[in-house]
Amino acid sequence: MLRLVDALAWLVILFLMAPLIIIVGGSFTVTPYVAFPPVGFTLRWYDQLMHRQDFLDAFLTSLAIAVLTTCIGLVLGTLAAMGMHRHAFPGKQAVEGFLASPLILPTLVSGIALLQLYYYIDLNAALIGLVIGHVLITVPYVIRTVGAGLLGLDPALEEAASSLGAGPMRILWRVILPAISPSIVASSIFVFIMSFDQATVSIFLATPDVVPLPVRIYTYIDLAIDPMIAAVSTLMIGFSFILVAVLQKLIGLEAAFGG
Amino acid sequence: MTPGRSAADRVRHDRTGRAAALYLAPITVFYLLFLVLPYGLVLRMSFYRFSATTMYVPGFTLANYAAITTDPFYLTLLGRTLWLGFLVTVLCLLLGYPLALKISRSGQRTKTILLVLTLSPLLINLIVRSYAWLVLMGENGVINQRLLDLGVIAAPLPINNNMISVTVGLVHISLPLMVISLVSVLDRIDPRLTEAAESLGAAPGRIIGRILLPLSLPGIAAGATLVFCFTISAFITPALLGGNRVSTLSTMIYSKFIAALNWPVGATLVCILTVVTLLVVQLHTRLFRER
Repeated sequence: MLRLVDALAWLVILFLMAPLIIIVGGSFTVTPYVAFPPVGFTLRWYDQLMHRQDFLDAFLTSLAIAVLTTCIGLVLGTLAAMGMHRHAFPGKQAVEGFLASPLILPTLVSGIALLQLYYYIDLNAALIGLVIGHVLITVPYVIRTVGAGLLGLDPALEEAASSLGAGPMRILWRVILPAISPSIVASSIFVFIMSFDQATVSIFLATPDVVPLPVRIYTYIDLAIDPMIAAVSTLMIGFSFILVAVLQKLIGLEAAFGG
Repeated sequence: MTPGRSAADRVRHDRTGRAAALYLAPITVFYLLFLVLPYGLVLRMSFYRFSATTMYVPGFTLANYAAITTDPFYLTLLGRTLWLGFLVTVLCLLLGYPLALKISRSGQRTKTILLVLTLSPLLINLIVRSYAWLVLMGENGVINQRLLDLGVIAAPLPINNNMISVTVGLVHISLPLMVISLVSVLDRIDPRLTEAAESLGAAPGRIIGRILLPLSLPGIAAGATLVFCFTISAFITPALLGGNRVSTLSTMIYSKFIAALNWPVGATLVCILTVVTLLVVQLHTRLFRER
């Protein structure tokens, strides 16, 4: 019985890893389609990708959106977490539910709802529109992660600073923010990756001029499934893994998520 | 440093909630503008009438809801979406439970490796993951090519552009979420319980059925809620792996808004999807949070 559980567990791991293996392996194949196991070895698809201006532009667009989303989300989310975790006030539980609601509401619906709003206010700035959408669906994670950091904070630190004569702003900048910096770094990296990989909201909010990388891939797949997509996918996967490795190196994954 | 003192200290900071309101003001404005207002607009659109010339006619009619809830076409669509949600949830549970059990019973080192392997698919974006299944399960895909080469099958298996490929893709996406939910409850079960049962001669099957399953029920419920809600509103995977042949609520919503340009009906479908999601979440909260 336990052997059976073990065997099943490894099969499930294999199932989970299959797409990763196929894509990374397939990006080096010499065949004009993604073959597995890959036939021969070539960097041709990566080379082809580097000469695709549309993909390079899409990469830069995604990068810009992710950076803006991270900055805005961090400020909004950290402030909200401070309001939630350092104060008691009536109706706190309801506010908490309200703040977490973008996690419960379907992403697709949030995308369409924003699309409607942009139509009515005639927003002609797709980049801003995309950033707003990304902030909306990622900011609950900032609130949660930074909130966990604040809960773990030793109140004696503040008391000590306060009794030594530090004002509220000084305490915020010199005591609280440095103390919760691991959660802030963790949520930044997390939000950056989520924004960079975000596809559902982006598909609705992208315009022909402002195309994030996942949307570019989506429209390309409609026409062809060649190994160039495996190459760009491999790069995206590598990018995310590097960021998570940096996070692990800096503060450790367990500490990052309050584990 | 007693917990009581730190809680009292936090409260002491602000009894009136004025400071909290200050901190919460930016996010509240942001949510009102970009969450409440847009959702309100969609709700309002669902009460408008469709017009072939001007797309919509402002007003208040429940005609869209009436049409959708009586039209067999939309009822089938809704049924298929809910069935898909159910199917994916059950499969995630069946596949996720053994893995979660293995993870929670492993030593620290194996546990970390297994967790990293389980969670790493979350770092791959949805489109890329669907693309991988397209490559694997396509008519000339890796699986069919292998099986044809080996002579196991004479013609490609019909595993692309149908419910099978959509289900596989959706299970793959939701599985890590289910496993995490399960591991978090399994980890909290006192190992002495299973040890005691073992020493009293209970077979592993009995231990799983009588101790682990009942005690992990909250994790099962949380994971199932998450996976079900995620699946019924998933758009990218059904769109890519269904190849226009498997329509769900989400793909229909997309086509009503982007291709067919029938916003009132699209908005009505959006509202139905949202209500179903909220009902499921509410049901879960009622059953499990208040204990």
